[in-house]
Amino acid sequence: MKKRSAWFTRAIAGAVVVATGVALSGCSSGSSSDRPANVIHVAIYGDSGNKVEQQIADTFNKTSTVKVILDKIPGANYQQKLQTIISTSSAPDVFFNWGGGSIEQFVNAGYLLPLTNFIKEDPKLKSSFLPSVFNSAAINGQPYGVPMRGTQPVMLFNNKAVLAKYGITPPATWKELLSDVKTLKAAGLTPIALGGADYWPTLMWFEYVYDRVAGPTLFDKALAGDKSQWTSKASMTALSDIKALIDAGAFGTNYDSVKFTDGGSPKLLRTGKAAFELMGSWNYSTQQSADPSFAAKGLGYTAFPSIPGGAGNQTDLAGNTNNFYSVIKNTRYPNTARDFLKLMYSPEFVKAQLAIGNLPTTTNTEQYLSTSASPTYSTFQYNLVKQASSFQLSWDQAYPQTAATAMHNAVENFFTGRIDAAGFASAMQALLTK
Amino acid sequence: MVRPGFVWAVPAAIFFGLFAIVPLVFVAILSFTSWNGLGTPHFNGVQNWVDLAHDPVMIQSLYLSVLLTFLGVAIQTPMSILLGVWAAGHQRNRAILSAIYFVPLLLSSAAIAVLWRGLLDPNFGIPGQYRWLFGNGNLFGSQRSAIAVLVFVGAWQFTPFHTLIYQGGARSIPPVLYQAAQVDGAGTVRTFFSITLPQLRNSMITSVILMIVGGLTAFDTVLILTAGGPGTSTTISAYYMYQKAFQSFSFGTASAIGLVLALVATAISLVVVRATGYDKMRSTQEGL
Repeated sequence: MKKRSAWFTRAIAGAVVVATGVALSGCSSGSSSDRPANVIHVAIYGDSGNKVEQQIADTFNKTSTVKVILDKIPGANYQQKLQTIISTSSAPDVFFNWGGGSIEQFVNAGYLLPLTNFIKEDPKLKSSFLPSVFNSAAINGQPYGVPMRGTQPVMLFNNKAVLAKYGITPPATWKELLSDVKTLKAAGLTPIALGGADYWPTLMWFEYVYDRVAGPTLFDKALAGDKSQWTSKASMTALSDIKALIDAGAFGTNYDSVKFTDGGSPKLLRTGKAAFELMGSWNYSTQQSADPSFAAKGLGYTAFPSIPGGAGNQTDLAGNTNNFYSVIKNTRYPNTARDFLKLMYSPEFVKAQLAIGNLPTTTNTEQYLSTSASPTYSTFQYNLVKQASSFQLSWDQAYPQTAATAMHNAVENFFTGRIDAAGFASAMQALLTK
Repeated sequence: MVRPGFVWAVPAAIFFGLFAIVPLVFVAILSFTSWNGLGTPHFNGVQNWVDLAHDPVMIQSLYLSVLLTFLGVAIQTPMSILLGVWAAGHQRNRAILSAIYFVPLLLSSAAIAVLWRGLLDPNFGIPGQYRWLFGNGNLFGSQRSAIAVLVFVGAWQFTPFHTLIYQGGARSIPPVLYQAAQVDGAGTVRTFFSITLPQLRNSMITSVILMIVGGLTAFDTVLILTAGGPGTSTTISAYYMYQKAFQSFSFGTASAIGLVLALVATAISLVVVRATGYDKMRSTQEGL
């Protein structure tokens, strides 16, 4: 009896040691040699823009021995999945991102490949793009991303039929917006569709109101570390303006449970249950996938209204300067990645993006505007971006990824009234800027 | 009687050790570090634990986990017992109807949550059509109704499973007990409460323990239906752990939450087993 239990204890101890060893060995990050052969993986944000990405990948695969495989990750989970796999051997060779804070952490942890060598081999990889856009993916002076979609200013979309029915013209000033909201609410509609459950659509309202009231410098200073910006007078004015809009019933009562990423809020706008939606320019392709005739004829769009007395310009924009492809250091086929990136300034790419309503940021875009799905929309966007005195990157992409949840919660809690202006300010002050 | 030696349990013990104990040890170690998923973790002592102890969302999440579990048990147990005892009988269409009632269990948790999310959509779902019953149609908008939705979907999904447990239990009740009761003149209701329920004691304990452990860790339903909302009013501990790990990228704190959850679930299970005498393995057929 005693003999058996001694042997047995040692056997269990041995098994635990072996198990720990096996588990620990899995912790090492993948080196380039154990990555799959003859393919590179490109991770993209899964939404209605994927058709162009697929088209470009198919074109590339026709002439390349090393094939590109597109991995579409559902938009709502994209950044989480990316952060989880980036340090493992299943990290994608090339991945979609928003530049700025969204890749800063990866750069600091040493995962990304600076594109300086690629640009040396092919200078057009940099010179074909608008400098202001290309530089938003530069970290510490080095380029880390190539623009791969269109520029995405946020604008106020509307349902033309609904506006016509109630005799409303798209608002040019904040006062007009409030009175439009009043008219629509009295008619029983939800004046403004909001995908509050995704959080970032709510954030857009903050981005614009803050810009109009305080100008773009407030956020830039806060991001650089000056936390007193959030409790400044301008910040409080912006918050009380937003509160006035919420209290007027502009967003209805359901917005907390409605998402953009599953088509909920676009559907509200499309079916006429709401009149307005503040959304990025990709809303055109989202509406186009669901109902091409609505996108072509029924969807209206204007810039965000001005707030008289504020420090910001009417021409300031908020949104995403573009989306970028970045390359990881461990990629097995850097030359394939470089050749794939070269397609991002090809005429085929520019035309394909325009066909879904996106506005590429290549220097030759203007020549192709007339080939777009809606030349009026593309020209409108083009002029908006050209005249922009500043272009604020979405707050949750400008801050490091670790600050995103706290920012989203602060924004949602303010909207639902769980925290007041002071609470919002302290929540934003608590965000880590590194 | 020669009881089987421990050797018979070694494969299961190794599996359990490898996939439950070793990860638990890692989680315990990680809970004393701060790590954002990139690079290497670095130790920060008991900082995570101190922060957690002062975090109101954490305390609320524990309360919500226990509340949802308790409501789940309170609602599913009577329904499952009644359905299970009915299914153990020999009625005409019993087999077909039982097969139909079993369908929710065959669907995946995520699929069920997506299904009910669509059916209960605030703007385009069923509640919007019956405002006289559902108020403004937004069942996800207030804490009460969100919890009610979670309990309802959980019950819809798991009642078939517990029905199966009770069906097995009811089938194994010796008929001689019922015959004796009939002789003594007991009616259906009296028979049910005096014979069927006491005989189902062991099934009840199994079912309740499974419900408790399942309820405390039910994550995918919360993720898809309410995403912890509105705000943090349905953020249960399992969901909070996911949020901390994969949205805030604070794996140290998430590990601490995970450890707390594991300890709480173990403690509750031990208490239930001890209090009901389950570990003594008393038979319900002693004396027959």
